Amino acid sequence: MTENGVRLLPVDENAWRLEAYLRRGGYETARKVLTTMTPAAVVAEVRKAAIRGRGGAGFPAGMKWGFVPQGGAGPKYLCVNADEAEPGTFKDRLVLLRAPHQLLEGMLITAFAVGIRSAFIYVRGEYAQVSRRLEEAIAEARTAGFVGPAVFGTDLGLDVVVHHGAGAYICGEETALLESLEGRRGQPRVKPPFPAVVGLFRSPTVINNVETIATVPQIMAKGADWFLGRGLAKDGGTRLYCVSGAVRRPGAYELAVGTPLREIIDVHAGGTPEGRSIKAVIPGGLSAPVLMPGELDVAMDVDSLSRACSMLGSAGIIVIPEGTSMLEVLHATARFYAHESCGKCTPCRIGTAWILKIVERLRSGGGGGADLDLILRLAEGIKGRTLCPLGEAAALPIHALVTKFRGELERTVTR
Amino acid sequence: MNGGKPVCLTIDGLKVQAYEGTNVLRAAEQAGIAIPHFCFHPGLEVEGSCRMCLVEIEGLPKLELSCSTVVRDGMVVRTSTDRVREARKDVLEFLLAEHPLDCPICPKAGECRLQDYYDSHGLYASRMVEARERRAKKLSIGRGLLLDRERCVLCTRCVRFLQQVTGTGELGIFERAVRSEVGIFDGAPVDNNYSGNLVDICPVGAITAEDFRFKTRAWFLARRPSVCPHCGRGCAVVIESVEGYPLRRSEKRVYRVTARENPAVNGFWICDLGRDGRHDIDDGRHIAVSKKDAPVQGLPWPEALAGVAAAIRSVPGPERAGKIGVVLNARLTCEELALAKSLFVTGLGLRKIYFAGRKPGPADGLLLTAERMPNDKGVLAAGFTPRLPSLGELAGAEVLLVFGPYLLDHFGEDAIARALAGIPAKYLFAAHAGPLDRLVDAVFPVAVPAEKSGTYINTEGVRQSFAPAVKPCPGVAAEGAILACLANTLGIAVGETDAR
Repeated sequence: MTENGVRLLPVDENAWRLEAYLRRGGYETARKVLTTMTPAAVVAEVRKAAIRGRGGAGFPAGMKWGFVPQGGAGPKYLCVNADEAEPGTFKDRLVLLRAPHQLLEGMLITAFAVGIRSAFIYVRGEYAQVSRRLEEAIAEARTAGFVGPAVFGTDLGLDVVVHHGAGAYICGEETALLESLEGRRGQPRVKPPFPAVVGLFRSPTVINNVETIATVPQIMAKGADWFLGRGLAKDGGTRLYCVSGAVRRPGAYELAVGTPLREIIDVHAGGTPEGRSIKAVIPGGLSAPVLMPGELDVAMDVDSLSRACSMLGSAGIIVIPEGTSMLEVLHATARFYAHESCGKCTPCRIGTAWILKIVERLRSGGGGGADLDLILRLAEGIKGRTLCPLGEAAALPIHALVTKFRGELERTVTR
Repeated sequence: MNGGKPVCLTIDGLKVQAYEGTNVLRAAEQAGIAIPHFCFHPGLEVEGSCRMCLVEIEGLPKLELSCSTVVRDGMVVRTSTDRVREARKDVLEFLLAEHPLDCPICPKAGECRLQDYYDSHGLYASRMVEARERRAKKLSIGRGLLLDRERCVLCTRCVRFLQQVTGTGELGIFERAVRSEVGIFDGAPVDNNYSGNLVDICPVGAITAEDFRFKTRAWFLARRPSVCPHCGRGCAVVIESVEGYPLRRSEKRVYRVTARENPAVNGFWICDLGRDGRHDIDDGRHIAVSKKDAPVQGLPWPEALAGVAAAIRSVPGPERAGKIGVVLNARLTCEELALAKSLFVTGLGLRKIYFAGRKPGPADGLLLTAERMPNDKGVLAAGFTPRLPSLGELAGAEVLLVFGPYLLDHFGEDAIARALAGIPAKYLFAAHAGPLDRLVDAVFPVAVPAEKSGTYINTEGVRQSFAPAVKPCPGVAAEGAILACLANTLGIAVGETDAR
């Protein structure tokens, strides 16, 4: 977890408190940044570090900050996306529970860099314990003067509000998150305008994933060059890879960006139990198209997985062992997206439901190969045609499962 | 929309100019290229959810929404390539997968976007063999509106209209994913003066009006433009009527009044008061001259008008000014008012010219004005100083001509009866049967504004001319024709002999 030096998670589960964080040098980076640097220099440094968003889309964070119009009389907002709901992903929860002050410090630096005085942390509905911990941490930080109207004796203040979501996958999509935060149904907005220009309460807004923001203090403490050295030239640093499924040591592993998938599974997660062979691996959360056993040497970074026709997504690795029915995997996938589609746009709302109906019929023994063709066609009708990435996230893994496991599925459904 | 800088782009090989800020969909529409869409409405904010208006834009890898993409100089747009048509067919197939095939009994058939687009893009056999979602088919949502959730395509035009236009927000989307549905909140049905627009803007047959559904079919309707006479706004409307088939040959009926776009007056909407104005056209009409509260068979109005002319002539010239009374109203067109001026003021030299109209009511801050007459400004423009008469002033007349039923808005029926009792000759010119009928010597049936041509000037000074949208019954005449005929009979030159 710590071999590369970027440490997001203290090993000690009780080290989340402010006192422990301060012993590790906590808030010193923010103090240095706020009292000695210019906002532009901070943005430049983060941009140079090539940190790509850890939430799923992999967009370079520094570039995102750069899209926010400078100056202006109106407010700007920071929203931390803690609506971690991608199946197979649990890294943000760990950051929030074990290193809440590192997130707050990252938020201070981000707010300073972009000129923000008001921040929200949007926490997934199911994460009640996380919300409570965050509230406690913010209370500690407020008492110590790290959050509030004037930080480190500067005239910069940051107000932080924890918003507890109501339990919808779609609210992890940045514009749906904004709608939900504003008190409306969590449904995505048409882009453009992008949130950097018209975001929360129609004001310029920076939205970043928990892990992304929590990494910022490290970048500023040790410098972009150091950070880049931990990862790849266009995809810097380390990230938290969550491994679940058929492995001996499931968990979150902080490793260099670009670590081979096979190494993560075999070395860090201890390989499959009882020497079972791997049937398939989902590399980046359920939305990422499945990889076959022969494709596991891929490097775990945004571009490499994109070349492998999958995606790094949230880096949630799900290992599927031999003996698993792929029709059941297909069903679980189809059911998830049909359930979580927000219903706003036509292809996603009806396409995901239609696919699920077909899969359910196949499971109950009625159907054949032509139904698999129809599923592929419907997935293609969703792909690239929806309002937000959820449609894509549903279509791609379903398309991959049916294509790559066509033989098995045909044998199963025509039996 | 306009006001910005002009931008040049190419749509389907056509050089098109549009103002900066216009979206591609509207720019194409202005160039005569229709891009299919459900959720976009020019009077509402862009939603981008139906995905029907996707087009190809040169240089962009994915299909883009024409409703949310703003025109740029040099942009090259293609709206009917194979790729675009394929995307539309996919969206249509998705929508139809969860849409009932009840067009034969759907009131929207014939003017339904889903039906029209299917006709121009689809005509394929559905691949949907799964069971459709079952939903409420006949949900009352208030103000005589019925919601069929199986037909709904979730474009949310209705929800957005109530949020963005009326601000009343009675409708919302409930549930999620394929179970999403439009609905009212508990015990709070749609209740505002603009509810009828929900039927107009619903692109399919999901929201229908109780008083239209199953009454006729859309393809029988003749749609003609007119101007709403029910308040001082003068909204642009369409009068939708059937004359003859499938009714009996001589029969006619107005089935609907709908909104007509006019950015200078009403935008895209009309209020329910104006929409209900269809009853004003069809119901309780006088269709023949009546005397002593009973229609006189076979007496054409020009002949009956000879009696009015004789009564006027019977008053010696010098006494006319004080002994002949006329009550006009602001439902008369500018042309009719000019005619009245020439006849009564210039020609006959009358002084007792009064006005009565519907009393002002509360304005609703949107379209409905406090003034409830359509041509108050036209009255002033014609040079009249409108004044309501006292009943005493009326009682002193020897001849009284009353246009419209509006004295009843200001005086009790009994009081009017007492005032009129002693007047030797009194005539009413009215479109509808009413309590005044029995108080006068003769009632002349007149046309309602939808049956007339003319001009109204609304409260903001906007002049709107209109032509007849429906034919009046044979025995009914516009006040203009009556005034012209009267002038003719009296030998008074009024410039135009026929206001039409």
